[in-house]
Amino acid sequence: MKTATLNRKLQQLYGGRVTASAEDGCVVLRGELDDWADVVAACQLAAKKNSTHHVLNDIACPNAKDAPMRLPPDEDRSLDGDAPDVLVIGGGISGASIARELMKWKLDVLLVEKEADLALQASGRNDGEVHPGIDLGKGSLKHKYIRRANRMYEDVCRELDVPFSRVGQYVLFQKRALFPLIALYAFWRKHHDGIEDTVLLSGKELLRREPQLTTETKFALYNPSAGVVCPYGLTIAFAENAVTNGARVALNTAVLDMTVEDGRITAVKTNRGTLRPKLVINAAGVFAEAVAKMAHDRFYSIHPRRGTNSILDKKTGAYLQSIASVKDLSVHGKTHSKGGGVMRTAHGNLLAGPDAVETYEKENTETRPESIRTVFDKQKTTLPPLSECDIITYFTGVRAPTFEEDYVIEPGRRTKNLIHCAGIQSPGLTTAPAVAIDVAQMAVALLQKTQAVEENPSFNPVRKGVPVLRELDDDARDALIRENPDYGEIVCRCEEISKGEILDALQSPICVPTLDGIKKRVRPGMGRCQGGFCSPLVTKIIAEFLGTELSDVRKSSAASVITYGRTKDGEGGGAQ
Amino acid sequence: MTASFYDVIVIGGGPAGLAAAISAHDSGARVLLLEREARLGGILKQCIHDGFGLLRFGEKLSGPEYAERYMDELRAREIDVKTLTFVTKIDNTGDGFRVHTVSRGGVAVETARALVLATGCRERTAKQVFIHGTRPAGVFTAGTAQHFTNLLGLQPAKRCVILGSGDIGLIMARRLTLEGAEVLGVYEAKPTPSGLTRNLHQCLYDFDIPLYLSHTVTRVFGADRLEGVEIAEVDETMTPIPGTERRVDCDALILSVGLIPENELAQSLGVRLDPRTKGPACDGDCMTNVDGVFCCGNALHVNDLVDYVSENAAQAGKAAALYRPRERRLIELQPSDDLLYVVPQTLDLQRAGDALTVYFRARKEENGCTLEITADGKTVFSKRYAFLRPPEMEQLTLRPGEWNLSETSVVRFSLRRPEQEAQR
Repeated sequence: MKTATLNRKLQQLYGGRVTASAEDGCVVLRGELDDWADVVAACQLAAKKNSTHHVLNDIACPNAKDAPMRLPPDEDRSLDGDAPDVLVIGGGISGASIARELMKWKLDVLLVEKEADLALQASGRNDGEVHPGIDLGKGSLKHKYIRRANRMYEDVCRELDVPFSRVGQYVLFQKRALFPLIALYAFWRKHHDGIEDTVLLSGKELLRREPQLTTETKFALYNPSAGVVCPYGLTIAFAENAVTNGARVALNTAVLDMTVEDGRITAVKTNRGTLRPKLVINAAGVFAEAVAKMAHDRFYSIHPRRGTNSILDKKTGAYLQSIASVKDLSVHGKTHSKGGGVMRTAHGNLLAGPDAVETYEKENTETRPESIRTVFDKQKTTLPPLSECDIITYFTGVRAPTFEEDYVIEPGRRTKNLIHCAGIQSPGLTTAPAVAIDVAQMAVALLQKTQAVEENPSFNPVRKGVPVLRELDDDARDALIRENPDYGEIVCRCEEISKGEILDALQSPICVPTLDGIKKRVRPGMGRCQGGFCSPLVTKIIAEFLGTELSDVRKSSAASVITYGRTKDGEGGGAQ
Repeated sequence: MTASFYDVIVIGGGPAGLAAAISAHDSGARVLLLEREARLGGILKQCIHDGFGLLRFGEKLSGPEYAERYMDELRAREIDVKTLTFVTKIDNTGDGFRVHTVSRGGVAVETARALVLATGCRERTAKQVFIHGTRPAGVFTAGTAQHFTNLLGLQPAKRCVILGSGDIGLIMARRLTLEGAEVLGVYEAKPTPSGLTRNLHQCLYDFDIPLYLSHTVTRVFGADRLEGVEIAEVDETMTPIPGTERRVDCDALILSVGLIPENELAQSLGVRLDPRTKGPACDGDCMTNVDGVFCCGNALHVNDLVDYVSENAAQAGKAAALYRPRERRLIELQPSDDLLYVVPQTLDLQRAGDALTVYFRARKEENGCTLEITADGKTVFSKRYAFLRPPEMEQLTLRPGEWNLSETSVVRFSLRRPEQEAQR
């Protein structure tokens, strides 16, 4: 849309309160609106699909003032003067996979993450689907990476020892009249967009495969290449493998500001001192725009979008082997989400969600009752036995889309020693392994302008995770317990996790000795009692391992105190 | 891997398992007791308050003291016990059971003719009562808070709100107060308290802790540690009333919002659960629909007094010891809607000559009513109660042999209220 046309439309809609101008390869929107929904709508109106002329949102919205970025409490100089070849900002799936990929070269890589663990934001708060790309067309970066990345999953997950299964995805249609349209759509996707695995199934065949799904289905699209993976497990695995190959990961480390001189970042200020990286990779998720701004290279805007998923008792895992959702074409085009679905997770729970709600709050991960309601109302039409009564937990993640709803993966436009890996949202988990290869190549090319970069001949792509004792047969399990009796002491009864597995997690390459850190790595507390029985026991194991007081153990962040020291006559040392 | 043979394997070493093992042994069985934790006693280990054993021993004992009495009995009989031993799966071989266990010694398989499941219950969590908001530290179930306080000697709260007036919640209100914490109030979504009357007096009223009925917690605040909760009034359907929300600042939320019998092992054996109790549907011998599988204690239905647990478990242990495969002729014991549940759920006509112990709870508070049992429409038993309260379980001993039952008989339990009485 021409700027004049756009301004005419904005004038009609917002009575002159918002104007657009083409500046420096961007469409900049300025003005003031009362309602965040209007801000999003105005920017969406201005956004052009697959365009590299991104919408920059400079519309003021006094009613939608986001809280300042949450910062880690630590203040020290431990990284002061540190000059890595590459500084990766953000410990989500993007940052972690890029850091690992960079270790294939002889480079000093430092990844900083402001949270107390990796994958604490969007990468740890999604459904873990490895997408087939059935909804993606040529021209977008999402499409560029999806098939290549999807096919990489067996190898990547084998190397990184992360559970992955290609369970397949069904999209259900309840109107027979739609069949010609959908058949054409699948044909086009296959032959034009290369989504080659799509199959059309009858409702009868669908029910033969997944008998609990709705009997209202007339036909379904099936993509056998869809899979499930543990999203935070994969992120941690990437980062661990990076670390064993020599990368450094600094948690609780936030980027606060940057100095840019002559189009180069010369200093990056953090709460742990000032860094002098040769190259910076911006994988900061919802904060990517803020990082771009610090780097004097802001040319896209992020509009946060919340999504809530529910996890159900493993008993209901038997309802479904795959990923499924009823498609209601009436909402098509109105939302930038597939509207959620139901799936069996990599760990065998049923998962329902997510919904999609625009928000100005980048870090508000509060859950709300209406999210659960929306998802369950919709997904009960997919899987009728689905019930809120079987929920064991729910969580909210905030996606980080641009208004073009595509990725931004490119070197800085003005700042030379910068690469953006931004606008990453679904299918960002899926595409991460392929995106990481490209970003690493960009990084090497940029660095090679000023220094020699050699391949790392000793790079070891294999990461060994903590053994999962409950999945072994009796003989193999017995043999491991005889080597290490701690594997025979069950601490988490719901998920059957042993003390040995917890101690292994504490000794893993990126030790996060908190209840949540251990839970993310080996799952105590992930089951139906949600840590009711095991959290005191895990607290005790952590304290013994660290040699600290029990009350020094945290749930996650430094301020997430679990207990306030000893009771009046308590020993506090935990003699049981 | 090792395999040993027993007549009865009891799974769970809490009060139910202890009583079942002792009673099975005394009935002549070779018994193995399996406990997943390091020490026997189950949840009694952390119940350092008194009030246990009034019915069973005629004295007020603490939880550990009550458990100790049974542990002494167990030791005196030299019953085989394995602690820190976790059951991973059970195979039903048709003439017995193969119980796969994991312990520090490795994987083992134990076999037995009969099983007693005494696996207790777990607490309902914040998400299961749909509390929304953030995910800070400081949200505990009452049992977890009790573990931190009583077993680890740690202070989980300084200023807290308690949701749910179940017994553990009331006990923790007092316990945390004694440890110097400020308990701002106990909030209960139901219009009536969920705990025993004696606990309301001894734990709340004696300490001036306010009880707010028809109120619930809808939301929690705080990014790291809990900073506050949102309280709302609820209507008769326990749905929060919009506009009544208010924030209460506190650093801990303690939840006592119900207990769920743990029956994952039972279900893996094909044991059918009663949706009312969420425990297995059993006959008068505590045998489930799967021959040779018995269930007792809080795994069968949530009890309010441990004395009842011991009594019921002893019965299950004895029945398991005497168990021989035989045809059962089961008829259902049907509770009316006035009753929350009746346990056992079935009666074996082959055993109708024996005394039958029945437990039941009223659905709501009743003043002056009569429990009536009819067989094929004819009243066979009735008992007057001055009052009935859902938190207080009632126990009866019945003689179904006198009821002229046949396989097609319908046995119904219902309540008759004074107004209905007048109409008769």
